[in-house]
Amino acid sequence: MKIRRILIANRGEIAVRIIRTARKMKIETVAVKTAVEPNAIFLSDADVIYDNTEDNSEIPVFLNIERLIEIALETKCDAVHPGYGFLAENAYFAQKCQDNGINFIGPSPDAIHKMGYKTIARKIALSAGIPMAMGSEGNIGNEEEAVAIADRIGYPVIIKAASGGGGRGMRIVRNPGEMEKMFIIASKEAEKAFNDPSVFIEKYIENPKHIEFQVLGDKHGNVIHLGERECSIQRKHQKLLEEAPSIALDDDLRNMMGKIAVQIAKAVNYYSAGTVEFLLDSEKNFYFMEMNTRIQVEHPVTEAITGIDLIEQQIRIAAGDTLKFRQKDIKLRGWAIECRINAEDVQSGFAPDPGKIEKLSLPSGANIRVDTGVQAGSAIVPSYDSMIAKLIVKGKDRRDAIKNCKLALDKVWIKGTKTTLPFFRMLVRNPKFLNGTFTTAFIEKDLDKYYLNSEYEEMLAAWLATKLFIEENLMDNSINVDFENSREMSPWLLNKRINQF
Amino acid sequence: MATTGPKVKKLYALSSENKRFCFSQPLKHSIRIGKHDYEVKLKADEKYGTYILWKNRKYPVEIIRSRQNKYEILFNDISYTFTVETPFSMQRMKVLNASKGKNEKETLKAPMPGKIIDVLVREGSTVLRGEPLVILEAMKMQNEILSPVNGQISKVLTKPNTNVMKDDMLIEIKVD
Repeated sequence: MKIRRILIANRGEIAVRIIRTARKMKIETVAVKTAVEPNAIFLSDADVIYDNTEDNSEIPVFLNIERLIEIALETKCDAVHPGYGFLAENAYFAQKCQDNGINFIGPSPDAIHKMGYKTIARKIALSAGIPMAMGSEGNIGNEEEAVAIADRIGYPVIIKAASGGGGRGMRIVRNPGEMEKMFIIASKEAEKAFNDPSVFIEKYIENPKHIEFQVLGDKHGNVIHLGERECSIQRKHQKLLEEAPSIALDDDLRNMMGKIAVQIAKAVNYYSAGTVEFLLDSEKNFYFMEMNTRIQVEHPVTEAITGIDLIEQQIRIAAGDTLKFRQKDIKLRGWAIECRINAEDVQSGFAPDPGKIEKLSLPSGANIRVDTGVQAGSAIVPSYDSMIAKLIVKGKDRRDAIKNCKLALDKVWIKGTKTTLPFFRMLVRNPKFLNGTFTTAFIEKDLDKYYLNSEYEEMLAAWLATKLFIEENLMDNSINVDFENSREMSPWLLNKRINQF
Repeated sequence: MATTGPKVKKLYALSSENKRFCFSQPLKHSIRIGKHDYEVKLKADEKYGTYILWKNRKYPVEIIRSRQNKYEILFNDISYTFTVETPFSMQRMKVLNASKGKNEKETLKAPMPGKIIDVLVREGSTVLRGEPLVILEAMKMQNEILSPVNGQISKVLTKPNTNVMKDDMLIEIKVD
């Protein structure tokens, strides 16, 4: 089943990432050009661009199963890589690819279905003897049922979407009085996001660490793990910074959790790359949360410490190859940190700040990897996620990685939209982050300020404001300004003005 | 504001958190830290856009908004709002502030552009601080917009399925 040509059913940095490996493997790629982003840089990396700009369908092409199959057939692709998000965890899409003789680069439709449907995944994990938080047997129908279960397992509980993931359709309930409202919100959000309002309930583990294991399985029944990733730095269940390995694990715990991760994967005959997510409490008890049946955004930190190209493995596994390494061959070397540089306003609670990237300069070096799908002039559009770039920094140990990360962060230059950079600049100096005791509650509970506050920087900003005031009001040669009428000023005005000096 | 160049010898930049930065006029192109003056340069080029060069480091700068004497500056990815006052206007402001009463009305604004999914309160509802009032969907996430105060809803200015821009007014609350 040799793979010769892959349709990239995705966009942005992950499309760029997949194309990079395909090229290395001498496999051709087809990228889809949309009207939303006709100049996206992943297009110029692909061997073939399929022009879909005339598509008038209501559904975006990356979510349009029929259309993607048509494109794959028309462009003679023998495989499809779904990336993450969109249809990456859609069992029906995987099945449709199979039915049309197209190799879906991911797990089997059956494994996607079982792990994607959280209540089924729970049952499978339960019968495999995997440690889990207590919860409802299956879906719950209404808030009365929810209250009854919560009374049994004890508050706080968490309502989760049965078809969910990525934090959507999730709500924590601390007392029976909140149940009705939270049940409705979670269910509505689930319906909207996953086309399925079903929810279930679990005991809420307070202040856990989010630890996930990367697994790799082939089509011949071999499954191994590539160690863990620490993803506790999140807000609203959206990860912001990930590292590998985790400071919370020693070799014994790593081996134990890794074995369980492999066991879960084997329970659904898993092949391709996958991620088993656990919650780890303060007593180092761990609970299976869910399995993500796709490549993860944060996969580069694992690549950095194992030296294994996960996209390459996905492609080889899809082609039917046997895994080239066994568990004992996997050695974790050094430490890696990934910062998700998003177009978000940290001063307004991480609100998305879409816009045009005016200037962009990203660091490079032996310890640095940057995965991005944008360049200066690109737009971060509201219809997609707000990611600008992933900054992945390596070091020989955690301290070294953090030190390198601090330096790299100061070399990132982005103008045109607000970004999460000030958050990371603060984080790499935060004592709790440095000593590793942070949990998933860190951003919401341990921080008063989401960004680094420098007295000098504020003073320089004040100097600039004063300079502008003088130019506008006190200088004879200033541009005439109607002082009583307020007005908006675009940033390029500043450029013009500086040139006058 | 009748000010002419030579008469003003000092200017104050007041931050939104009421921090006061004093600068001499004409403005020096340096900032003093301890006993040393460090040169400040405002520059622009094709690669970086506009930036401030200080102590051998470039900091990206941008003017986000300029409204009368109020400036919102983006400095190294953080925005700061300053009002720039002369000694005269500063004095006048102090007098005005002293006579101003307590703010009795709170307006809830959209913190980000998006779509209103649900409005959880009606006019006349009594709300507590931290209670969700509106559900706003933005970039695939549903966000609860919480009441900043205890009070009574005096006006609902939005409805479900409305698209809103950042800072659009959503709800008015009479503060208890």
